[in-house]
Amino acid sequence: MNAKQKVPVTILTGFLGSGKTTLLNRILSEEHGKRIAVIENEYGEVGIDQALVINADEEIFEMSNGCICCTVRGDLIRVLGNLMKRRDKFDYVLVETTGLADPGPVAQTFFMDDEIREEFMLDGIVTLVDSAHVEQQLGRSDESTEQIAFADVLVLNKTDLVEDDGLDNLEARLRDMNRMARVVRSEKADVPVDTVLNLSAFDLDQVLERRPTFLEPEYPFEWTGVYPLQAGRYELTLEEGPDPEMSLVVKAGQGGDDAALREGAEWCVRRYAEAADDVAPGASLEFERHVSLQLQAPGSKSFFLDVQEAVQVGLYAQHTAEEFDMKLIRVDDGAVVPAEAERVWVAQHEHDDEVGSFAIECEGDVDPERLNVWLSELLRIRGIDIFRMKGFLSVADDPNRFVFQGVHMLFDGQPDRPWGDMPRLNQLVFIGRNLDQDSITAGFKTCLI
Amino acid sequence: MPDLSNPGPIGSLRSGWSAEVGDYAIDSAWSANGEVLVVGDAAGGVYAFEGRSGAERWGHAEVHERGLLALEMHPDGALFATAGQDGCVRIWGAADGEVRNVLDLGKGWAEKLAWSTDGRLLAASLSRAVYVFDLDGQQIWRSEDQPSTVSALAWAGPGELAIACYGRVSFIDVTSNTLLQRLEWKGSLVSMVLSPDGSIVACGSQDNSVHFWRRESGEDSAMHGYPGKPSALAFDGTGTLLATNGGPHATVWSFHGEGPEGTRPGVLKLHVEPITTVSFARRGRRLASGGRDGVVAVWDLQMDGDGEVVGAAVVEEVIAGLAWRPDGRGLAALDGGGGVTVWRVGS
Repeated sequence: MNAKQKVPVTILTGFLGSGKTTLLNRILSEEHGKRIAVIENEYGEVGIDQALVINADEEIFEMSNGCICCTVRGDLIRVLGNLMKRRDKFDYVLVETTGLADPGPVAQTFFMDDEIREEFMLDGIVTLVDSAHVEQQLGRSDESTEQIAFADVLVLNKTDLVEDDGLDNLEARLRDMNRMARVVRSEKADVPVDTVLNLSAFDLDQVLERRPTFLEPEYPFEWTGVYPLQAGRYELTLEEGPDPEMSLVVKAGQGGDDAALREGAEWCVRRYAEAADDVAPGASLEFERHVSLQLQAPGSKSFFLDVQEAVQVGLYAQHTAEEFDMKLIRVDDGAVVPAEAERVWVAQHEHDDEVGSFAIECEGDVDPERLNVWLSELLRIRGIDIFRMKGFLSVADDPNRFVFQGVHMLFDGQPDRPWGDMPRLNQLVFIGRNLDQDSITAGFKTCLI
Repeated sequence: MPDLSNPGPIGSLRSGWSAEVGDYAIDSAWSANGEVLVVGDAAGGVYAFEGRSGAERWGHAEVHERGLLALEMHPDGALFATAGQDGCVRIWGAADGEVRNVLDLGKGWAEKLAWSTDGRLLAASLSRAVYVFDLDGQQIWRSEDQPSTVSALAWAGPGELAIACYGRVSFIDVTSNTLLQRLEWKGSLVSMVLSPDGSIVACGSQDNSVHFWRRESGEDSAMHGYPGKPSALAFDGTGTLLATNGGPHATVWSFHGEGPEGTRPGVLKLHVEPITTVSFARRGRRLASGGRDGVVAVWDLQMDGDGEVVGAAVVEEVIAGLAWRPDGRGLAALDGGGGVTVWRVGS
């Protein structure tokens, strides 16, 4: 373990006009009692006395081996190396990149250069997004895509210029590209300072705490309700909602506990893979068939379910019940049947973008030698396309959790705290371009003992 | 903890004196005959100590606002120049601490300095440009902007300046403003040293290699296999031995005979952490090395680059710089805690 406290560094990226300078000024003018050094590449925009502002031209240094993963920011090495010699050291460093910067070299600098690595620790990458213009930018430039993919925090700024629906769609799209990032919305870059500083962003614990579902598998359905039903006729009512049709599978014999729900979900995935039958309002629903409820008509719609003998059913629906104010009513007496259990799943999205992210979560102990061979080969072949990677490993015969992170083909890891009572698990997240989730997952599993 | 108090110098290093400056000691130099040692620090202060006793002769705190970056003694040993983050170069009298000239290069860091061998010209870099001044402080030349911040400067001969930056070393006759030679290598050249006759150029590269060229033929070679980046390079007075850092061992290449291509370098093992600085005494094949481990070692080397340690000492902080007294009978070490330690050196 390193006894010396390393100075945390936040990298601030974002296209011109996304609000970087506003955010920077906000951070610097707030009372946080920290001595902050700012290294900025666009001249003369920040003028705050409390912080040391250093202008440095962005100098991208490629190596003779031609590997883009070894490319570093020479100006940062020089400036940071000198900064750390002073007795009145800094508590924090902020690096603002130019709008068009590829975040790779900046991040790599903190892995590649031994002297920098000794003194500094990359705390996080914060990317500001101009909500009104990012969709155009994403189509046009690799840099904006990479700025999204590398981020630990995505600040959707200027939200006042975009409709709520548009923002939801934008957020969903950005999340597909980067499942690891925390997304915050703001109008004038007015986000709390602690959402961008001291992130310990590379600590996956925190990510899991914020969004416990992010390692979970995705399902083609978003919601399950479990209902205990007696024999009789039931009416499923839906009000107007966000979609003119909705997929549904009704499963008989559904338990309400977590294990039963997961088992049911896995079974249901196969039903969802079958083509759906269109079902018009007023029709009866068959059990264990993939159907598409036709909801184009205005107003309330009803479908019917006939139950021969008492059974507990699970409704696996493409949307949540709330979105359509969906209710199950006993026809005999008009009583609403309450759900005994409900579960919201991580819904699958269409992955339009080349850049995406996925997670591997599995039990088992890793053989460090096999892992090393597999990972070295993976990074050698796909390092350019793997933007970021982080996670925990359960290493055979080691009582401590192993924590790692990587940028392109650079990889850094060390033993973390003991597993103790925590269940031993491997959790890995990959973000990159055109990554083959199945083959990477299969490759990882060959490293298990 | 057992008592690990400093055991004192051993071998050819003998106790001398020690002193303190205001902050991390950046650079130092001896005046003629070792009369005073001048030292600059990270807070921009400049101090002079009596060569024999270590008593402070004069001192000025925070002269270069935000920090000093370089200090170079004039060849005659009476004047020296400093450069800093305030964008200024100052020319001082070593004996009295009087500033003779302040040269304001502009906004940015004034970072590298080099006096010409004949002592008539001073080159100084600010970001991507190099400026050359005469002894009156008159600017006689300015380079065009280089592709990146200038990483090293050296004079190759009368009026001929070598400028290193990302990807290349340029040799320019500053009196006629003519480009004489350009040596290219795709890599970040972080350090540069010329052999005393100017015929060999060696550069340390960010990719953990040392690249050198023989200027006459333009032949070049790359020495790989360093665990770290070779940021400190030094030639001995005859241009036969090239000492390099780049890890906990000092690596010494010999240009004797056919070498160094195809030969094994001398590998000097003593430090337990990366070496930060290497320096040859003015005469002979005596090398001093200092490291992050706070160790200073003195080595006597053979023609093939190998050698043995003849003296060593420990200070508590990272060694930031070493300066041999001109007669080779004294060695000064600067450290990251602002300490200055001078040893007498036996034969």
